[in-house]
Amino acid sequence: MSRHVLQVVGLVRRYGGLTAVDHVDLVAPPGMITGLIGPNGAGKSTLFSLLTGVEQPDEGKVVLGSTDITRMRPDIRSRRGLVQTFQVPSLFPTLTVADNLLVGAENRRRDYAGGLLGLSAQGQGRISHSAERVLERLGLAPKGPVTQIVEEVLDSLGLSDVRDTIAGTLPTGALRLVEFARALCARPDILLLDEPASGLDSEETAKLSQLLRRTAAGGVGIVIVDHDVDLVFSVVDQVYAMVGGRVVASGDPETVRNDPTVRSVYLAQAPLAAAGHSREAH
Amino acid sequence: MTSIDLALAGVSLGAITALSGIGLLVTYRTNGVLNLAQGGIATLVAYVFREMVVEWNLPIWLAAVISLAVVSPGIGLLLERLVFRPLARRRASAAESLVASLGVLVLSLGITAGIWGLGSRSDAPSIFPNSSVQLFGDTRIGADALAELVMVIVFAGVIGVIAARTAFGRQIRAVVDARQLAELSGVPADKVAAAGWAAGTTMAGLTGILLAPRFQLTPYGLTLLVLETFAVVVAARLSSMTVAVLTALGIAILQSELKQFTLHGDAGQILTVLQSNLFIVALLVLLLAVPKLRELGSGDSGATTSFSSRDAPPSGRVSGVRLRRDYLGKLGGGALLLAPLTFAPSDLRSAFMVPALALIFLSMVIVTGYSGQLSLGAAGFAGLGALLSLKLANGDLFGLPAMPGIASMFVGALLVAPIGLITGYPAIRRRGLTLALTTFAVGAVVSRFVFEQPTFATGLYLDPLTLFGWELSEKAFYVFELICLGIGLLVVRNLHQGRLGRALLALRDHSEGAAAVGVDVRNLKLLAFTVSSVIAGLGGTLLVHSSYSFSADDFAPLQSLLWFTAVVVFGADSAAGAIVAAAFMVTIDVLAPAGSSTLAIGILALALGWMPGGLASAVRGMLRLLAQYLADSFVDPNQRAPRPVPVRISAVGHLPATTGITGITGLPGIGSTLRAARAGHYARWPLSGNQDGLPAGAPRLTPFGAGLVGMVQQYAATQTAGARRRQATDPAGAPRPTLPRPAGPTPTGAGAEAHPAEGGRA
Repeated sequence: MSRHVLQVVGLVRRYGGLTAVDHVDLVAPPGMITGLIGPNGAGKSTLFSLLTGVEQPDEGKVVLGSTDITRMRPDIRSRRGLVQTFQVPSLFPTLTVADNLLVGAENRRRDYAGGLLGLSAQGQGRISHSAERVLERLGLAPKGPVTQIVEEVLDSLGLSDVRDTIAGTLPTGALRLVEFARALCARPDILLLDEPASGLDSEETAKLSQLLRRTAAGGVGIVIVDHDVDLVFSVVDQVYAMVGGRVVASGDPETVRNDPTVRSVYLAQAPLAAAGHSREAH
Repeated sequence: MTSIDLALAGVSLGAITALSGIGLLVTYRTNGVLNLAQGGIATLVAYVFREMVVEWNLPIWLAAVISLAVVSPGIGLLLERLVFRPLARRRASAAESLVASLGVLVLSLGITAGIWGLGSRSDAPSIFPNSSVQLFGDTRIGADALAELVMVIVFAGVIGVIAARTAFGRQIRAVVDARQLAELSGVPADKVAAAGWAAGTTMAGLTGILLAPRFQLTPYGLTLLVLETFAVVVAARLSSMTVAVLTALGIAILQSELKQFTLHGDAGQILTVLQSNLFIVALLVLLLAVPKLRELGSGDSGATTSFSSRDAPPSGRVSGVRLRRDYLGKLGGGALLLAPLTFAPSDLRSAFMVPALALIFLSMVIVTGYSGQLSLGAAGFAGLGALLSLKLANGDLFGLPAMPGIASMFVGALLVAPIGLITGYPAIRRRGLTLALTTFAVGAVVSRFVFEQPTFATGLYLDPLTLFGWELSEKAFYVFELICLGIGLLVVRNLHQGRLGRALLALRDHSEGAAAVGVDVRNLKLLAFTVSSVIAGLGGTLLVHSSYSFSADDFAPLQSLLWFTAVVVFGADSAAGAIVAAAFMVTIDVLAPAGSSTLAIGILALALGWMPGGLASAVRGMLRLLAQYLADSFVDPNQRAPRPVPVRISAVGHLPATTGITGITGLPGIGSTLRAARAGHYARWPLSGNQDGLPAGAPRLTPFGAGLVGMVQQYAATQTAGARRRQATDPAGAPRPTLPRPAGPTPTGAGAEAHPAEGGRA
């Protein structure tokens, strides 16, 4: 399955007299990590909500693969492969970790009405829940592709131990990981991550960047919006730097890091060579 | 009458509505609570005022002063202190406050109906003389209207000045924005909140006293009138007092102006209804037209997870034990539902109401408990289902031929589906407060324009039900009702499990998060509303058949509020809770004077402040405590080796931090188990190496425990072959002091409720 590229063309969003996002162009190819940086008020968050579909742009287009998704609802975008995570981890607190992931994995089908009649969309055949439960007891439950994906993701992220834990009881670091896992289960072409490192300690952040690299290597495109310059510059393949709603610099991390505008506006007086170790940039 | 005369005639009602709106806004802007109880309080005060004037013969001015300066603010202060302050203290969601105010509404209705009965009274005294003032020429305006107008201007002006110009106004805004922060900066938050409540209820009382003489005084009627005035606060988007006052006057004058037109035929009928119901229509139209209310705070009233009766998540792993633990309860419930079959005929007839009401409650469990939407329109759907099925049975619907009774019931219920679907549409974008008011308005409009209209709701015959030519006896009808309830339960069960159940729970837990991973939020909400409306429709049909008549009062909009409160009280996401709630209400109404169930539900609703999750949650908690107590009777708590408690504050999550460290509950014998259970909980994340291993010192059974285990063993030994084999290797069959899992097969069944950590503890 070839994965889609995310393209943003001339995106504009105005709030009254303020132009929060001003003719932004952006390309996020699959298999690459794209960073989006900028000081507070630069328009990162607005751009992010335009990408996820929470807000609608005044001008411009958001294109996934060859489809114009500018006016689509968030859930439709997600089913088409543009999946997001939140600044505050947004798990379903009363479901188990496995069920959280299942919700993500089951998103491609919409025929909820079948469930009402007791038909199951899980597994390959359409059998009733009671029959399914009996089969489960006997250890004969058919493992549908959906369940397989969940198990694989649980395994690869080392979450198998908390598989049956109620998500609401997990600590923040684990919540981030489970939310990420849930997004992976939705089989994204492009993953939009809103400040994935907030609330994580340095060790967890390091693990996260490894995970991001691994995910991208698997062919998924990732877009990160984060204040954490350390994280962004350490993992991304390309960076877009925003100031005042406009993209002022873009390209590989080295280019952006040395861009004079970025140096003066965003990274302030922090010596750029040390940017990877400095937290002053916040 | 000329247009000007009609306009002036409308001024009085407009002014009273404006006063009510001002009261609502004051409470809302100072406390963040949209006081749905405004109508109930207004009615209560109006009755008290009438009692003092008519029965005690007090002078009107004295009665007015007592009602408005003592009783009304007193109610507000009491409510603030006893109900809403505890809620604010534990930062309850806006949805919980909304339910609490519904509880107050139901309670005040119950009190009024309990003391003065449900009958109507036309002798409510008026505080203004029945005279009029000449304006110009022949045009006169009533003294009352003039006085009311002056009051509106004075109150709005004074409140406006206080809010904008004084330090107190700043304090109010601070408290509403961030109560705890305000307190930290020295603002007396409680006093500000109390003042807001007192002012709000005083306005409510004033509204009641002024409205009562204009209409017949009945508990439900007057309350509904005041609820209709919510149109003006919606127009004001919950913030602008000026807009509220102008809208109130505008709608009232327009409604009065409508009186100069007469139309014939269907249009004429609609016009007649509009002439007295413009406010409720305006409420619905405004709710659909105004995209967003300026809700205070985070506007989180959409988050109804707080209604979940399973609010304390079972810690650690969820095992098959959870699936089995309810079997005993289900068996008991089923037996109870079958019990009425043995009753005398008159009692059986009373029991007819239980399955019918339970179905209606189930419909609310689907929308509120499972998908997290606030819906206050259940009575509308139920009534429509009843009416449609009756019309079908009478061959009176769209020229369709008359259908046999039972078929008409199901078809009628199914015909409600499109209406549920349409009501679901506003729910896609609206949530919380707005959705609650919208669904209420839908129910009210349906009630006024359909149920109360003679063309629709008269001349209907209720034939006895037949099945294959046999007339259903009363017992058979009850069984039929139970079958319908079973169908409803089946649908609810299917909604609650598998992929659909997960998606619905995800929607309830975090709708944005659900959308983010592709859950079709829109269609799920529509599905929930549609299914719910059909089930409510079926319940409504059964309700009509069990009371042998269609009465608009059975499906009045206020019923929705009462029913909703009952459902939340008994656990909004519990199907069993719905059935218990129905049985509870019917039982109380049969045993006690009419209206007592309202009172009881109201009292229970107010207790929600201390009992989040409703009665179902409290019962679950009690069972858990009981199970732990029993477990402690098996195992001597003092002999158990203490387990290390890894203190991970980040893992505390939903458990109260204070007990997390000490685990002492004050109840003898329980603390140790709780502590062990909690230790198990904390130890789960991150996973400690030795989870299933026994703690260092093995527990010692109490003499009682040892005896009981011995008895269980002997019983098992004589019963099962497996046990027999085990007995062969251990011929003595004596109780061993250190059984690995003594609490496993608890004979009481309550043990199955026990904490999942219990197994690892032994």
